[in-house]
Amino acid sequence: MPLTKNDIRRFLSEYKIVALLMVIALIWAFFAFMTYDADLGGSQFLTARNFSNLLRQMAITGMLAAAMVFVIVAGEIDLSVGSLLGLLGGIAAVLDVTYHWPLAGTVFVVILVGIALGMLTGWLTAYQGIPSFIVTLGGMLVFRGAVLGATGGTTIAPTSNELKVIGQGYLPEIMGNGIALALFAVLVVMALRTRAGRKKHDLPVSSFAVEIGRLVLAGAAILFFVVTLNSYQGVPVPVLILLVVLGLFSIIANKTVFGRRIYAVGSNMEATRLSGVNTSLVKMMVFGLMGLMCAFAGLTTTARLAAGTPSAGFGAELDAIASCFIGGTSMRGGVGTVVGGMVGALIMASLDNGMSMLGVETFWQQIVKGVILVLAVWMDIVSSGTNRG
Amino acid sequence: MSEFLLEMRDITKEFNGVKAIEGIHLSVRAGECVGLCGENGAGKSTLMKVLSAVYPYGTWSGTILWEGEELKARGIRETEAVGIVIIHQELMMVPHLSVAENIFLGQEMTTAGGFVDYDGMNARAGALMARLKMPDIKVALPVSSYSVGKQQLVEIAKALNKNAKLLILDEPTSSLTARETRTLLDLIKEFKARGMACVYISHKLDEVAEIADRVTVIRDGTHVATRPMAELSTDQIITLMVGREMKNLYPREPHAIGDVVFEARGITCWDTINTSRKLVDDVSFKLRAGEILGLAGLVGAGRTDLAMKLFGCFAGESEGRTFLDGREVVVKEPADAVRLGICMIPEDRKRHGIVPLMGVGYNITLAVLSRFARGSLIDSESELAAIHKEIARMHIKTAEPLQPIASLSGGNQQKAVVAKMLMTMPKVLVMDEPTRGIDVGAKYEMYKLIFELALQGVAVLMISSELSEVLGISDRVLVMGEGRIKGDFPNEKLSQEQILAAALGKPTTAAA
Repeated sequence: MPLTKNDIRRFLSEYKIVALLMVIALIWAFFAFMTYDADLGGSQFLTARNFSNLLRQMAITGMLAAAMVFVIVAGEIDLSVGSLLGLLGGIAAVLDVTYHWPLAGTVFVVILVGIALGMLTGWLTAYQGIPSFIVTLGGMLVFRGAVLGATGGTTIAPTSNELKVIGQGYLPEIMGNGIALALFAVLVVMALRTRAGRKKHDLPVSSFAVEIGRLVLAGAAILFFVVTLNSYQGVPVPVLILLVVLGLFSIIANKTVFGRRIYAVGSNMEATRLSGVNTSLVKMMVFGLMGLMCAFAGLTTTARLAAGTPSAGFGAELDAIASCFIGGTSMRGGVGTVVGGMVGALIMASLDNGMSMLGVETFWQQIVKGVILVLAVWMDIVSSGTNRG
Repeated sequence: MSEFLLEMRDITKEFNGVKAIEGIHLSVRAGECVGLCGENGAGKSTLMKVLSAVYPYGTWSGTILWEGEELKARGIRETEAVGIVIIHQELMMVPHLSVAENIFLGQEMTTAGGFVDYDGMNARAGALMARLKMPDIKVALPVSSYSVGKQQLVEIAKALNKNAKLLILDEPTSSLTARETRTLLDLIKEFKARGMACVYISHKLDEVAEIADRVTVIRDGTHVATRPMAELSTDQIITLMVGREMKNLYPREPHAIGDVVFEARGITCWDTINTSRKLVDDVSFKLRAGEILGLAGLVGAGRTDLAMKLFGCFAGESEGRTFLDGREVVVKEPADAVRLGICMIPEDRKRHGIVPLMGVGYNITLAVLSRFARGSLIDSESELAAIHKEIARMHIKTAEPLQPIASLSGGNQQKAVVAKMLMTMPKVLVMDEPTRGIDVGAKYEMYKLIFELALQGVAVLMISSELSEVLGISDRVLVMGEGRIKGDFPNEKLSQEQILAAALGKPTTAAA
């Protein structure tokens, strides 16, 4: 049967993620070609070292994008995350550097403050009815002002070695392998349980060969990932955190009552409320999660720089929001995946990383990123044949 | 010149290789009204979208002749320019704009200086409304301050203003009161006499019988018959539509009526805009287990506001007490109502019923999702099994259980919304216009379901503007008018006239 334009369209809209991975492959191939240097023994972009760097660079945007997907799916927006990240990173630096708090205490307080401020934003939006655009625009200014106040406008350094690990550490090879093995085992168990469940309820089950094929593919991907990173210095700690976040958020989106309600609220809030769902609570919790991710991102930023700076996280909200849209999240709410947001973040990070390697000037980098954002959404609209506005 | 104003020949439209309509013919003479009948999903709307160029020329096959010449319109502007105007079932109003602004939307009158000529527009709009026998509508007020029924008439004014030669009315009376319907039908007759042609799509066959000269019936996207109305009875139309004989429209079943389960005392609701106006005024009633209580009345009588209040989602100020099983209950939020076992099927399916982007299945389980959770994770398999069960039980026609609900026909969407609420095992079920805009087959299934629920002891409060439905289904009929209870009749030898008289506040010989 010949493939028609419609078939391709349907395939791409159903497997958006495949289209996005193709985009990544294209970008990587381009940079691989451009950075090829025979004297240095091949392409400088496609090395284990650069792969590790790239992932570390995307970690912060990725963490924010994971929660931002939920915010946008719920039909809201959060412009304050960059400033909140800065504030939380600043608090971490002050507690660590000035007051010499133990790491656990610092992390605990920062997370608590992050969730509280996120919930406050959510409460103002969901319960008081102030549009999130306005609440978070205000938050953007307030939190940035607070960072300047807390840090006194100067860089606070150096942080303790324990804190640095969060941003700069690597897992020993054995630990990386162990985690990979455990992850694969979890995937196998989950696949088997799903099959058993489907059989129990007389639902159609995919053939065993397909199932094994799927698992082998997943296993190969995990193996490639860990072996590559181990061949440099090991799995970076922030990347591990990001992967855990990705896993947890995907589970929240697909397997929890709360996750399903986020999508329902974003698609039709009134109908959801009339189904007996406390929609305000759902929205507030989503902002709470956003605050939590700001705490993670703030800690990682401070740890990575080994310092708290007043400008930390400047513009991070735009990277996170752009990542979500590149990853197929709909502006109107109700549609979007965590994996998509993560892939969007990877695309942004790849562009940053590749262009920096090529020595492209910063102003060009910004222009290219902006163009890619619009292009990605345009392609999505054209390929799916719908206007997702 | 052809004998027909419009001829559609051999129209076929495909979606992704699936034929929605195939080889359909439809012709209309000037001054003629053609009734277009068919069950929901039969392809009526698709056909009309082809005609009005919502699907532009080239995306379908066949020929459209307009005044004898082939019409190749690429957009709705071109079809409107020649005089084809469609009034959709779903109102196409911009709620915050005034009545006049809505009427002139897209072709605003301007002054010499290029500014909008509000005085001119308001004057013409006022004249149009007077022609529609609706002089009490203030054309400078936002259209949202009027009921759905009045808004429908504004749509018609909008069409008249476009100098329509052919008016397509898609279920125009689905939300009108008996009186408004009367006005509309008389208007159409008047338009016909002046030479305007009309395609009238409706499930209300007595209306079709009254105004149509000929009837075209389609079924499953194909042309079944076109006959003069004089040769047909409404029963015959139904037979043509469903392809089998429909003996009994209301599958009444005897059911036992138990004790009072629900009581409302002194319910009063105030308008959100005009806060001194009472939408619902001191309403009290009792509802027994297994009882089907019909709530009749004119649109705007406050029935929907009452339902909203009982379900905890009335937006304005309100007071009154409610009792469930003899104990007073406080319902502040729909969540409270659902927890207590009071459920509502909302009137506005698109706005309050469905979550459009989510699958049919996920819509069905939305209210009871926690039931499928083990720990904090949903057991997807047992959820999916329940979804399959509900889809089969409610006869919901869907290709995939998780297909977005927005892609289903209205009747199937409604079944899913009802299924969602029934999943919560309600003791009291408030249904607000449960059969609005759904086809004969789906209606029949809905009635059967209502009787089944009554048999199980569920107390049903059914709001309906179709008096024959109220009489066909209810055990007892409450009539509301101007926010107050105007009558409470056991459904024995009750006539439509009696209900209407009560709703209009005429003195009645209390049948109760």
